[in-house]
This record gives sequence, C-alpha cells and structure tokens, in this order.
Amino acid sequence: MSLIQTLLGTVLFAVLAPVVGCLLAGADRIVSARMQGRVGPPLLQPYYDVRKLLGKEDVSVSGVDGLYMTCALVFTAFSGGFFFSGGNLLMSAFLITMAALFFIIAAYSSRSPFAEIGAGRESLQVMAYEPMVILMAVAFYLATGTFQVAGVFDLRHPIVCTTWLAFIGFLFILTIKLRKSPFDLSSSHHAHQELVKGVTTEMSGRTLAKVEVMHWCETVLFLGWTGMFFVWGGPATLIVGVVFALLAWFLEILIDNNFARVKWQAMLKSAWIVALVCGGVNIAVLMLL
Amino acid sequence: MGKQTIIPFGPQHPVLPEPIHLDLVVEDETVIEAVPQIGFIHRGLERLVQTKDYNQFVYVAERICGICAFGHSMGYAETVENLMGVEVPTRAQYLRVIWHEMSRVHSHTLWLGLAADAFGFESLFMHAWRLREKILDVFERTTGGRVIFSVVKVGGVTRDLDDQQIDYMKSVFADFRAEYTKLIRAFLDDSSVKNRTVGVGTISRADAVNLGMVGPFLRASGEPYDVRMLGSNGYGELEHFEPITDDQGDCYARIRVRCEEVLQALDIIDEMLAKLPAGDIAVKVKGAPKAGSEACNLVEQPRGECYYYAKGNGTKYLDRMRMRTPTSQNLAGMAATLKGCDVADVNMIVLTIDPCISCTER
Amino acid sequence: MGFFKLGSMTMGSLFKEPSTLRYPFETKEPPAGLKGRIVNDKDSCILCGACMRACTTGAIAVDRKGRTWSINPYRCVQCGYCITVCPKKCLSMNPHYSEAAREKKIRIVNVPEHPKPARAKADAAKGVDAGAKAGEEAAAAKAGQKATAVKDAEGAETNGAAGKDAAEN
Repeated sequence: MSLIQTLLGTVLFAVLAPVVGCLLAGADRIVSARMQGRVGPPLLQPYYDVRKLLGKEDVSVSGVDGLYMTCALVFTAFSGGFFFSGGNLLMSAFLITMAALFFIIAAYSSRSPFAEIGAGRESLQVMAYEPMVILMAVAFYLATGTFQVAGVFDLRHPIVCTTWLAFIGFLFILTIKLRKSPFDLSSSHHAHQELVKGVTTEMSGRTLAKVEVMHWCETVLFLGWTGMFFVWGGPATLIVGVVFALLAWFLEILIDNNFARVKWQAMLKSAWIVALVCGGVNIAVLMLL
Repeated sequence: MGKQTIIPFGPQHPVLPEPIHLDLVVEDETVIEAVPQIGFIHRGLERLVQTKDYNQFVYVAERICGICAFGHSMGYAETVENLMGVEVPTRAQYLRVIWHEMSRVHSHTLWLGLAADAFGFESLFMHAWRLREKILDVFERTTGGRVIFSVVKVGGVTRDLDDQQIDYMKSVFADFRAEYTKLIRAFLDDSSVKNRTVGVGTISRADAVNLGMVGPFLRASGEPYDVRMLGSNGYGELEHFEPITDDQGDCYARIRVRCEEVLQALDIIDEMLAKLPAGDIAVKVKGAPKAGSEACNLVEQPRGECYYYAKGNGTKYLDRMRMRTPTSQNLAGMAATLKGCDVADVNMIVLTIDPCISCTER
Repeated sequence: MGFFKLGSMTMGSLFKEPSTLRYPFETKEPPAGLKGRIVNDKDSCILCGACMRACTTGAIAVDRKGRTWSINPYRCVQCGYCITVCPKKCLSMNPHYSEAAREKKIRIVNVPEHPKPARAKADAAKGVDAGAKAGEEAAAAKAGQKATAVKDAEGAETNGAAGKDAAEN
C-alpha cells in the first residue's frame, strides 16, 4: 500500500483506537463485575483513570521509562495503521512486537526487583506467543496468496474456512496477548499478585497513562486480527468480522473469570505446543493441498 | 550460577492479609531462602491487663484480631473463669460453641477467598466473599456486630437467642450450605487451581510435628490433632468429633481440609441448635482472682490451637495474661516450606498458614 | 479434566441482580439488637459515675456539679459494659449505623434534678403542710424539667446556664 495510505491509517488509528479501546475496556470491567456478582464501575471509568493519571506527578526512578513508552505508543500506532489500511500483516505483527519490547525495556529501566521479575515474565510471554503469531501470518499468506490484509476482499469465502485450526491456536494466544487469566502473569489490573504490579510497578503518572492507552490500542488491534478471519468479498462483510471479534472478546472475559493464573512454565509449554500443533498442522495441510 | 536478588515482600503488599516482612533471596524466580521479620503491628495489648480490670479486658482481648475476635474473647473468659472457679451455665456454653463455630465458618470462607486471590482467580474470591456476607448478616442479627461481637463476658454471655433468631439462622445456613458446596467444587476440581496448588509447599508429617505446627496447617500433613477432640467446655457436649486430616501435606491438602472443616462446623452448629438447653445465660461474678492463682486454657481457633495463661494477684487487675497464638507456631513451618519454591508460589504458601499476624504480635 | 467449574456461578451471576447494596441510594434497615449509639434516660440517671469508671475507652464523662452526662461517640466501641454496670438501668443501646461526619461532636445530656422522695415521705409522717410543700417541689421540678427538655442536646452545644437555673429553683 502507498505511504500516504499507511500514514493516514496510522493517524486515524491513533485517534479512533483509544476511543474504541476505552469503551471496550469499560465494558470489560462491567461484564467482569457482573460475573462476580458486583455492580461494576461506570462505562467511562478507564477514561477517568487516564485523565487522573495524566494530572499526577511522575515519580519514576529514571526518567527514561516515559521516553520508552512514547516509542511503544508510536510503534503501536504504526502497527494499527498498517493493519487497518489494508497493509502488510507481517509488518503489523513485527511492529507490535517492537512496541512490546519497548514496554519491557521501560520496565527494566527502573531496576526495581518487582519490575525486573515482571519484565522477565513479560519477555517469556512474548516468547510464548510470537511463534503462533508468525504461523498465523504464514497461514494467512497460504490462504490468500498475499501478506496484504486488503487481500481478504478478493476472496470468495472467509479464510477461517481453511485456517480454522490456526485460528483456534490464535485464540489460545489471544488470552496471553490481552493479559487475561490464566496468562496474566506479568501484570494484571489487580495488584494482588505476587509482584505488586509486575511490569508497571515503578511507572506512574503520564507513563502509566501511556501504558493504559497502549493496552487499549492493542486490544483494538488484536480484535481486528480476529475479525480479519471472518471478512471476505466486499466491505459489507466487515459487520460479520466485527460481530465475531466481539464474540471473541466476550469469550476472553469468560475465560478470564473462570481460570486461575498459571506459572510461566505452564504458559510457555502450552503456548508452544498449541503453536506447533495448530499452526504447524494447518500450514502443512495448506501447503500440501 | 544466576544472580541473586533480594525481593522485599511486605509489610505492605497487596496480597498479604497482614503485615509481615519477608526478605526473599531469589535466583531466577526460585526462592533460595526466606527471612521473616515481624513486629509491625505490636500494640502491647497484654500490658493493658494492668490498667483494665478483668471484666473490661474481654473487650480488649476481642480486638486483638478481627477474624479471631470471638475465639479470643471466649478463650480469655474461660481462662478467667478457670482462675476464679466460676461455673458457666450450660446454655451459655452451647451459645459460645455456636458462635465460635460460626466464627470458624466465617474465617475459613474469608480465607478461601484470599487463597483464590493469591493464585489469581479473582471471581472465585468475589464469590467466596459474597457467601461470607450471609454469615456476617447472621452475626449482625444475633450479636449486633459484624466482626466484633462483644457478647462474651466473664461468667457467660450477654445475649440470648430466641426462636425467631434460631429459625432465621437455620434458613441462612441451609442456603449457605447449598451455595458453598457448589463453590468448593471450583476449589477442589478445577484444573487451573490444581495446577497452582498440588505439590506446592509440601511438608511431611514428621517435620510438621517437629516444627510445632498447629491447626489445619498441621492436620493437612496427616497429624490428627484438634483441641476440640479433647472435649473441654461446650465441646464436651458434642456426640462425636473427628479431626479432619489429609496426608499429602501440600497447599491443595490444606485447602481441602479447610473446605471440609466448614461443613463440619455447620454440622456442629446444627447439632447444638437442635439440643440447646433452657437456662440462664450468665452467672454473676463477684470479687477478684486470689493472689498467686494461675489458670490455663486451650481453644481451637480457626487457625489452630491457642493457649491462654492467666495469673491473679488478689486485685481486680490480673497480674499476667499471656496468649500464645497459633500463627506464632506456624511461622517456623512457613519459613521451612518457602525454601526452594518459585516466586509465584510465595504468596500461596504464606497464605496457606492462614497468617494472623495481629494475633501473633498483639 | 476440570475446566469451568465455577462456570455456573459466573454465568449465573451475569444474568442475576448483583448482590451489592447500592449505598447511599439504597440503605439497609438496621436490625433490632444492632450495636449503635448509647442513650441515657435522663429521668432515671443519678449521675453516680459508674459508667464513667467502667467505660473501657474513657468515652463517657459525668459531671455532677454541672449535671451533665456526655459521651464521645467516636471513642465508644459499643462494648456495652456501661449498660451492664449502671445501677439504675438508664443506659441502653439503640440500633444505629454511624454515618460519616466532618467533625467529632460530643453528645451531651443534661440531667435534671429529680424530686427527692425521702423528704416527701418524712413530711407526710410529720403531717405538716405536706401536700403544699410536696406540690411546691413538684412544680419546681416540673419547671426545671420543661426548661431543659427543650434544650436536650443531640449533638448540639450545652446549655449549662439554663440547667443551673433549674437547679437553683
């Protein structure tokens, strides 16, 4: 796709994705609360939280984590821009991983024991889900013949029909990417775990606000990847994609509320087995057919 | 050889229910050693016996801890009754047992919620505490308070249960038991819970006895010791009492022991309510403990065996009141189980001793 | 394989009413017997001070000269020991959920003078103008009671002057 289109997509993503992500995050908290027998916060609570964080004093140990988080946000915006403007899927996947790496470095920069162990776990998480993401992109290529996301509009049927096994594998690691139980090892929205707040322990004020916004944008992006499996033919089927993306989002909340957190050994092992089996078998089948 | 870091765990940590400090010497997510420090919540309550007379001190003893509140007031009152040779009416003994077992149900349900939170299962935590609210409502109706009751006094109890309250209690317990049985299936059968608790923090029976552990922490390693089986005071009226044990000695075993103790406590309450005798609820206690008199008492609190010792000096102020709480015995066991575990298991292990540091440090 | 063992509770709660009480829009009726605030029946109080000595936290203060009985509700721990030791049984605990406040106010109760029953009996025995004297005292006592009844403080300032007037009557 042309540079102009990508840049336009990036800017639009940077403006719209936080809004959509904020609403999704708010709805997530309300649905989770209802599942637990509670009332839940107002829908715009994540927005109020970010607004409060932006007004707070930054008490980080080294001022560098703010800079790293800005880079992470920029890379996330580009990743979303590439994807939603119909560009290269593999590029989008690599850019979002780059953003995750900046997040990890921001955590390491504070040299606090909790943040270090949290960052170590976050690195393990990235190691766990990357194979499946790459295999998913490869499966996409084999199903559509191109790495360009806009290629789905030229298909006669959604790619999930031929890549359903890889899709199942992708759903498995979506739990890791969206930081939901059983795989919310490095940081979750509840500080009750062993690492105080894990990766974001030493982040405060504007840096933490950037982390929140990055999570919102990531959620929108990954749900976009999920919906991509269900789009074909013309733009009218985008509705189908959105519906399935929301169904996947609800499924993730259900899983989050019904599983305990596992240790990193179990996460790594299960994610790689799933990548090997689901991704590998699907790709092998697609290549042989 | 990896690099060793020291992680300061506590005293302020969101997963800890009480302030305890552990210096965890960690190498690549494995704990080499844990060095505990306590003393953050020492209030010097035992010294207050010198300024509050033996009647007023019941209210101080209650406030040593929020969860073991009734256990401490009952234990203290029984000790002073032993000291002065007071015979408590049977109805009061039954009422004390009923409230104490309700305290045990409350404490274990609260603990189950905290344990679920420790291994990251927030919705199980919320549901366990939602059930706990039902027990707190019963406490509010029958004693007037949710956590601190002030119904025990030296010589008996201050409130009685009438038939309306007993019917209310029976209906609430029936509801509670139905939902609770569903809840513990999630604790005991769920694979992700088992993944976090089976084989974690194992301690053998011999080690448990040598380290002086008490309570469900001990019984989960296979040693069948429970003060209630000695049948003192109201517990002597029970027809039959069998301590619940498990032989695996890991976190899963401790969860199982506590889950079943709740059901056992509900059975005890039903039995006691059914045969509640008529009579007085208190006797008037006059005078003061004789000089040089001593008495001791054992109570099975939700966390284990608690030992009380009182010494009188002829005035209405006691000379000495000493409470040896269960958690102070279990801290050694906790430090032993923490060696060699994962960092992710630390909070699970700390929580399985059901730490009540407020009681330990008074 | 045990998965979704909590599923019935989670999905069930999603479609049921949440169990939260939406305070302050909804309030809970305090059950009878709830511990709350200590009230003193001023007509039977004899200002002996037993409750002040018994109070575990020192929340009660009794002033015999000023004829006031006051309690600091923020020190009171609702133990109920004062109720047990009161010889006239004039103290009781009302069910009450304490609400938040911006400042700690001490609640003061003015205890009026009571007609002394011993003197009336002695006059009757003497048989001298007993009716008139008793009537006089009863009237004075009633006037005193009326004056202070209006000013019975429920979190307001004391009215020592009026109380003193009634005492002098």
